[in-house]
Amino acid sequence: MKRRIIPCLDVKNGRVVKGVHFKGLRDAGDPIEAARAYDRQGADELCLLDITATTEGRETFVEIVRSVAPQIFCPLTVGGGIRREDDVRRLLNAGADKVAINSAAVSSPPLIERLAKRYGSQAIVVAVDVRRMPALPRDEEPLYEVVIHGGSRGTGLEALRWCEQVAELGAGEILLTSMDKDGTRDGYDLWITREVARRVNIPVIASGGVGSLEHIRQGLALGEGEADAALAASIFHFGLYTIAQTKQYLTERGIPVRPPEGRRAA
Amino acid sequence: MTLVDAGLGNLASVERALIQVGSSTIVTNDPDLVATSRIVVFPGQGAFGDHTDQLVDGAMGEALRMVIQRGDPFLGICIGMQMLFEGSEEGGGRKGLGILPGRCRRFPDNMTVEEGDKTRRLKIPHMGWNEVRPSNEHYYFVHSYYVDAANSDDVMWSATYGDIDFAAAVRHENIFGCQFHPEKSQQAGLRFLRAFLLGSRQ
Repeated sequence: MKRRIIPCLDVKNGRVVKGVHFKGLRDAGDPIEAARAYDRQGADELCLLDITATTEGRETFVEIVRSVAPQIFCPLTVGGGIRREDDVRRLLNAGADKVAINSAAVSSPPLIERLAKRYGSQAIVVAVDVRRMPALPRDEEPLYEVVIHGGSRGTGLEALRWCEQVAELGAGEILLTSMDKDGTRDGYDLWITREVARRVNIPVIASGGVGSLEHIRQGLALGEGEADAALAASIFHFGLYTIAQTKQYLTERGIPVRPPEGRRAA
Repeated sequence: MTLVDAGLGNLASVERALIQVGSSTIVTNDPDLVATSRIVVFPGQGAFGDHTDQLVDGAMGEALRMVIQRGDPFLGICIGMQMLFEGSEEGGGRKGLGILPGRCRRFPDNMTVEEGDKTRRLKIPHMGWNEVRPSNEHYYFVHSYYVDAANSDDVMWSATYGDIDFAAAVRHENIFGCQFHPEKSQQAGLRFLRAFLLGSRQ
């Protein structure tokens, strides 16, 4: 089984944010163009996250999913702002293969079970955002708290216990984001990634903090992050690295990945 | 080409992939229309359960058997391939269409694989890209149960997950099946669909 490389597009009011600079794209901030480009580069999967706060923005997001899905031939995960079962249904109907739920899973864990029964575990990703708690004397290991609302709100849930519970409830995957690392370009939080990957019997996607190809390698390598998949945004968006370069880098360092595909005729 | 809508999941991406390889496709849940089709694609996601029992025993099951027995090209995808066989351990033991001999079994828990000098525990479902033999192409898989074909001649391509070698694609005369999702497997998947489309009558 190969480790997956997953570019993530943050979408706000219908546009990709964080700055996307592909060569040869007509409109660099257009999520449809960006998704097509990644699919053609041989991304193993794509993730679209809705970071809009408004209701109109949410409608726009469903429309974007509906436009992106027919253009790509790899799995598509979508998330952000999913509150109800109805949101899940609409996004799957719009062509998403998987939906990532976050705060809604925290406020109602039985939702995970209901969704997994209804749509199959493979369609239900639980996004878990975590933050390392301040160390206290005599701590043997670091402790992490689950946070919601972009890290602004604590939940009182201990991260490893929550991840185990999420897996027991039938989630198909965990998308684990370190809020301490997110946006830092400092690398994944390897400790919590590895602990979660070892504790649960479902795939774990590492997220938050990638600034270089070496960070991706660390996130996936045994004894380091041990994740099944690596999600990254800015290093691909800014055109720093292509998917093919990423895969070559990982292959040379012993991480099993699917080789990059040849160019597909337009 | 007829794409069978048996309520086993979203067909839009399969339809889109078939269009991409140049096939004119109709989507139907009408057993009569399926029974009179010349090329049939039967995709599926999800799980064996009450729903698949009803399908096997109902008019749609009858229509699918008719197409297959008549010798027209047939492709089952994922659960659609698994259903070609006698049954599955899933859902407390369920029956399939029984066209090909063999059963679907669950991947064992706690399988491991050696990677360099380290050991890695494998997750279930088998989710992601895996290589098939003999072509060494990669395809996208999502499944917890695999086809254990009784007749090894029916296995066209195989793949390995942990200790298990399983059927990644099967072929028996006019009957094709793939465990992977060609519609999610980028170029390799599109090439597979095109080969089925072009080669299915030879």
